[in-house]
Amino acid sequence: MADPQGLPPHELTMDELRERIRVAGITIAEHRLAMVRKLLGDALAPVRALDSRTIRTVEPAVRFAPDSEGGGGE
Amino acid sequence: MSDEIAYATIRELGARYRKREISPVEVTRALLARIEKLDPVLHAFVTLTADRALDDARAAEAALRRGDGNPLLGIPVAHKDIYMTRGIRTTGGSALFAEWIPDEESTAVRRWQEAGTVLLGKLITHEFAFGIQFPGHRFLAARNPWNLDHIPGGSSSGSGAALAAGLVTGATGSDTGGSIRGPAAFCGIVGLKPTYGRVSRAGVMTLSWTLDHTGPMARTVEDCAYLLQAMAGHDAADPASSTLPVDDYLAPLRRGVGGVRIGVPRNYFFEGVDAEIQHSFEEAMETLRKLGAEVRDVRIPSLHAAHSFLLILMAEAFAYHERDLRERPELYGDVARERLLAGALVTASEYTQAQRIRSEICRETAEVLRDVDVLATPTTLKPATPFAVAYDPELGFPRSNMAPFNLTGLPTLALPCGFSASGLPLSLQLSGRPFEEGTVLRVGHAYEKATAWHTRRPPV
Repeated sequence: MADPQGLPPHELTMDELRERIRVAGITIAEHRLAMVRKLLGDALAPVRALDSRTIRTVEPAVRFAPDSEGGGGE
Repeated sequence: MSDEIAYATIRELGARYRKREISPVEVTRALLARIEKLDPVLHAFVTLTADRALDDARAAEAALRRGDGNPLLGIPVAHKDIYMTRGIRTTGGSALFAEWIPDEESTAVRRWQEAGTVLLGKLITHEFAFGIQFPGHRFLAARNPWNLDHIPGGSSSGSGAALAAGLVTGATGSDTGGSIRGPAAFCGIVGLKPTYGRVSRAGVMTLSWTLDHTGPMARTVEDCAYLLQAMAGHDAADPASSTLPVDDYLAPLRRGVGGVRIGVPRNYFFEGVDAEIQHSFEEAMETLRKLGAEVRDVRIPSLHAAHSFLLILMAEAFAYHERDLRERPELYGDVARERLLAGALVTASEYTQAQRIRSEICRETAEVLRDVDVLATPTTLKPATPFAVAYDPELGFPRSNMAPFNLTGLPTLALPCGFSASGLPLSLQLSGRPFEEGTVLRVGHAYEKATAWHTRRPPV
């Protein structure tokens, strides 16, 4: 998985946030929009900074078994 | 009652019970009086079960007279208020369940009960284990016994505060992004997030299915081992529950750390860490070296993307709460409601990418754990946050040293390793291979025996 350093940041804009809220069919108070933008924007940052083609072609599944090779993961 | 009893370990209490120097009923009465005196300031308890506690204590006394050797007989405990307790209200720290009395019991609660513990009551949790109680909330937020102006951590806030103040000997916690280890760190106690699947989550309110863990909190590593022993094991009621046999968690504690290989992931976990925490951590590594452990630096490159764990948490939490959020949003606390609603804004693709990143972090961590037995990091980047800062809704969800181990599901222990100049506890985090709780406890116990941080008492 490539380190994202050097890739241009792709911030969550307030317009995009409002569009997501509209599509989701929920209501978020106007005075909480900045908070939600920060919360979601911070969480999205690693995904947006990533070239998804560089992630190993693993399934998005996790299993936990001590006898798996190395354990703790795929 | 003296502090000596309030802060006694499970082993000490058991020995005194069996020598008939003190009885479970006497200890229970004394702790109820201590709770009555201190809890109006600390707000650790949301429900006190005094009558039930005395009944449990009498039953424990009878069992002790019969020669029952269970180490948890007569040990005073309380449960985080997302653990369902039959006939005792279970609020989830939320107005939504403010008066809900379940007719079912969570598996972990039942197992501790069967081991002979004394149930003192239910401990406040951040709302649904996610959102701190802002002023005006239906329930008061717990305060940190080391400094009442600081949070005790969350979401197992009441568990951390009650243990630090000597109100209980053991408590349950849950950990989705650090909710056992954070309060342990901020309150100067010990918390263990077991391997995903080791302790049943049945009957515990969900925050995020693939990240939620349940586990014990206590004041010493050995106490955590005793408590884990009684709650671990397969439970068909939890789909993620492992069928692997339960190890003996006490036996490894006697073995010391000679030859144990400890890896320190130098990337990610030290970015933005307070100088005092870094210093106490390096001293802890030096202590472990002197005890015979081999300490070396390691790297887990994909951790740079670990904060995407929040996409998984938010999306799963919204799925769990969606109906109530749409139909009764006014019953959610301020800010907690918006944080949960934000999960509706995560797209399916983003959730999937976050799970792919998770797989990569799991793979790289497993590779590192081929060469070392345990990973060591600071538990938190800073000591306990002041309420004045925590109440800023713009704070967001800070980058976490604990979340990577929710992603990987690895057994992870937090224990005291120092104090800040302002008198707040600092914490060491130890993580091991899946289902190797014994190794993590062994290293933690050796460190604890060589230091005295866990013996300090808060000024309550």
